[in-house]
Amino acid sequence: MRLSGTGNAADNPRSGTRGDDPMHAPRARHGRAPNVMRMGEWVPMRQHADAEEVDFVIVGTGAGGGTLAARLAEHGFSVVAMDAGPYWRPLEDFASDERHQSKLYWTDERIVDGDNPLQMGSNNSGKAVGGSTVHYAMVALRFRPEWFKSRTLLGYGADWPLDWREMWSYYDQVEDDLKISGPVTYPWGPKRMRYRYRAHELNAAAKVLARGAEAMGIDWTPTPLATVSAPRGDSPPCVYRGFCVVGCSTNAKQSVLVTYLPRALAAGAEIRDLAMVGRIETKDGRATGVHYFREGRWRFQRAKNVVVAGYAIETPRLLLMSANREFPDGLANSSGLVGKNLMVQGNQAVWGDFEEEIRSYKGPPSLAISEHWNYEDRGKDFHGGYCYMSQGPLPTQWGSTQAGSHGLWGEVLVSEMQRYNHVAGLKIVSEYLAQERNRVTLTDETDQYGLPIPRITYSWCDNDRAMNRHGLNFMGQALAAAGGRNVWEQGDDTNHLYGTARMGSDPKTSVVNGDCRSWDIPNLWVCDGSVFPTTGGVNPSLTIQAIALRTADRIKAMARSGYYRDV
Amino acid sequence: MPSEAGPNDAREGRFPGVRPRTTPVRFEAEVHPVVALALVAVGAGVLTWFAAGRSKRLGPPPHGGRQVRTEGERRYRERGTEVTASAAQRLNHASSMLAASVLFDSGLEHYRGQFFNRAMYTPIIASTVTLASSLHGAGDTDPGRSHVRHAVQAMAGVTGLVGFGFHAWNVGKREGGYSWQNLFYGAPIGAPMALTLAGILGVAAEWVRDADPDAPELAGAPAGRTLAVATAGMLLGTTLEAGLLHFRGAFQNPAMFVPVTLPPLAAAILAGAAVAEPGRPHGAAKAGMWAVCAMGVLGVAFHAYGVQRMMGGWGNWRQNMIDGPPLPAPPSFSGLALGGLAALELLEHRRR
Repeated sequence: MRLSGTGNAADNPRSGTRGDDPMHAPRARHGRAPNVMRMGEWVPMRQHADAEEVDFVIVGTGAGGGTLAARLAEHGFSVVAMDAGPYWRPLEDFASDERHQSKLYWTDERIVDGDNPLQMGSNNSGKAVGGSTVHYAMVALRFRPEWFKSRTLLGYGADWPLDWREMWSYYDQVEDDLKISGPVTYPWGPKRMRYRYRAHELNAAAKVLARGAEAMGIDWTPTPLATVSAPRGDSPPCVYRGFCVVGCSTNAKQSVLVTYLPRALAAGAEIRDLAMVGRIETKDGRATGVHYFREGRWRFQRAKNVVVAGYAIETPRLLLMSANREFPDGLANSSGLVGKNLMVQGNQAVWGDFEEEIRSYKGPPSLAISEHWNYEDRGKDFHGGYCYMSQGPLPTQWGSTQAGSHGLWGEVLVSEMQRYNHVAGLKIVSEYLAQERNRVTLTDETDQYGLPIPRITYSWCDNDRAMNRHGLNFMGQALAAAGGRNVWEQGDDTNHLYGTARMGSDPKTSVVNGDCRSWDIPNLWVCDGSVFPTTGGVNPSLTIQAIALRTADRIKAMARSGYYRDV
Repeated sequence: MPSEAGPNDAREGRFPGVRPRTTPVRFEAEVHPVVALALVAVGAGVLTWFAAGRSKRLGPPPHGGRQVRTEGERRYRERGTEVTASAAQRLNHASSMLAASVLFDSGLEHYRGQFFNRAMYTPIIASTVTLASSLHGAGDTDPGRSHVRHAVQAMAGVTGLVGFGFHAWNVGKREGGYSWQNLFYGAPIGAPMALTLAGILGVAAEWVRDADPDAPELAGAPAGRTLAVATAGMLLGTTLEAGLLHFRGAFQNPAMFVPVTLPPLAAAILAGAAVAEPGRPHGAAKAGMWAVCAMGVLGVAFHAYGVQRMMGGWGNWRQNMIDGPPLPAPPSFSGLALGGLAALELLEHRRR
């Protein structure tokens, strides 16, 4: 029971740590890191000196880096994982306030251009230990098996150097590690392991999707989500607070912050929060460590291996920023593809209002899903697939959608906002194609660290537009069939980032191989969404994590066989 | 001086110089609907209690007059000397436990459902009168049935079935129909049957009381045998209900496997006892029933721990008692186990 003024730091200021300001002073130091599951408690943390050559330094602690850090540490390697963001304690630091919680986003300056400039800085990027999994929507979907051989089997995109059956076993592992709450049977794709926890109760917005799908004659299912529907350790079951995408304050969300990172610490990894890596050093064709900014000064951590896991903007940015005399075009860039082929996913939506109260913000935002158009190839005039989910926009977000995408203002906006409780929508996650002209480059301007600001160039191709049209039409019909009135289309939204350090089986057409190891520098690795050569029509986190688990196992196998001398 | 009465006074019912002799008495009290419901339920229960004692059979005593009281005073709290009365008391212990479980469980869950449908008040009243009737029977050492108790128990049985119909309708009308999802989160389909089981055991209690103490029969077969088989079936049904809800909880705690393994095992032993030679001791079956009985009580403690593991734990009891594992649910197993013990008593004391 919490009584104010008693107990630990959250209730009693006197029990707090002096000067505890996670955005300005690191929390993971002095041999301890926050115990994110308990208020005011700590866990011991092994620490390494800068001069000590650790086995792995990992840049980024999100879905890729955090997961990899845990598994590498569990495999017995010495690991230092750095993140530019703060080490949050969700139970104490997270408020039920959208504006305040924008502290979770990567809002450093970026320049966007192209025909369809991306909106950066909220749902597609995070600046926190745990990365954007701290504020992701927890949708945990597997790739359709054919997508790993998309060029050969489906005639578009690129083939992955990975086998879907192997990935399937790593999906099993992630789903077990995160105790994904999903349906008892999944309607699409090959047989999969039963989800460890049962699916969550549907909210009214999800029931709208269900009614629409049934009217359109397609399958739907409760969405597999990385938030527990029953207790798990110190995680209580989800209480349907609905603030998932601005940070879960109960720890029901199985983010990397509360799952893999505690495991990493227990296995002896060191996590450095508020540590911005600005440059990877190389010598004789090999990476030797990273320069990073922490506690007011630039430092250099020596390492036998460097793993870059900064997501599809920061990863190519770091590789390009690290250009030196040896690698004048940036590290791992002999193919010239670092920063190119930036991909996102469509995130268009249809919205309508309903006679009955919906209150779509209750519970996780995407409680029901249809993957029909991921698995059905007939009747499409475009390449790729998409899924669509029910939605639960929070009020400020909804206001800005109405003012921005819908273009309402003044009295119209006010009266529309008064229908907030009666609104339901369907939102797409669709597969866009890779184009070399969509890319991340460096500008001459510098940010607060004195590092060059990235320029993000993005434009749709005809296939992307055809997909948008198909998705919006279908979802619009489904929403109307479910009883939606005044249906309108939100045509401009995108999310998720991929492709700027793609994996492949040919050094000329890819940056890393199937083990996420760069072709050019044998001890430089990339492990995040940037390695995806195609996006698939599902949310990426589960696949990123499965790839991280596989990479850790591959590194262990290589080290054991002696084939790989660096670890 | 002109009168102070204005032109509108007459229209408003005020007349100068005329006063109403009495002010109307207005009685207002703020009563929470749940309190009102509880009062109604308690009132119904008390009435049932008194009625149950007044309806002992009149007329000629059956079974050679052994069902007539020999002493003047009715005595409570002791076990009847005849096996029929003793077993009937046990059966009423069983139906009491089940009715209490239903009372608190349906109260909690229907409160959670905000009594959205008026019919949701029914099980609270029904289980209260069943509880009163069962408690009354539990203290009755006499052979011979009470008509009121019998009627109340039969009513409970029917109410449970109607409730089952309502719950099944609720599950089926949801998006996706009879899917796992709706079985998990719709109205719990098996829960109303607990009231039916209470009613069945309560009716059986009255029938057993009425039966020949030397060779008690139920539904045309030896009473012990019939009851043992029936109780075993009821245990299996309740296991299905617990299994469904623990599956929803993903068996996240290994203890959640106990109520889906122990009761079927004990039920199997009980059914085995039913087909054994009459008059033989059934130590294993009794131990099984006592184990299930203890499990039902321990289950409350485990569910209390489950409440603690919800967000905020017991500090937020007003939410977590409702959304966490239901505290009153596990004792329904104990109730059924008591029914099983009654069956075993009849089996063991049956003379050839």
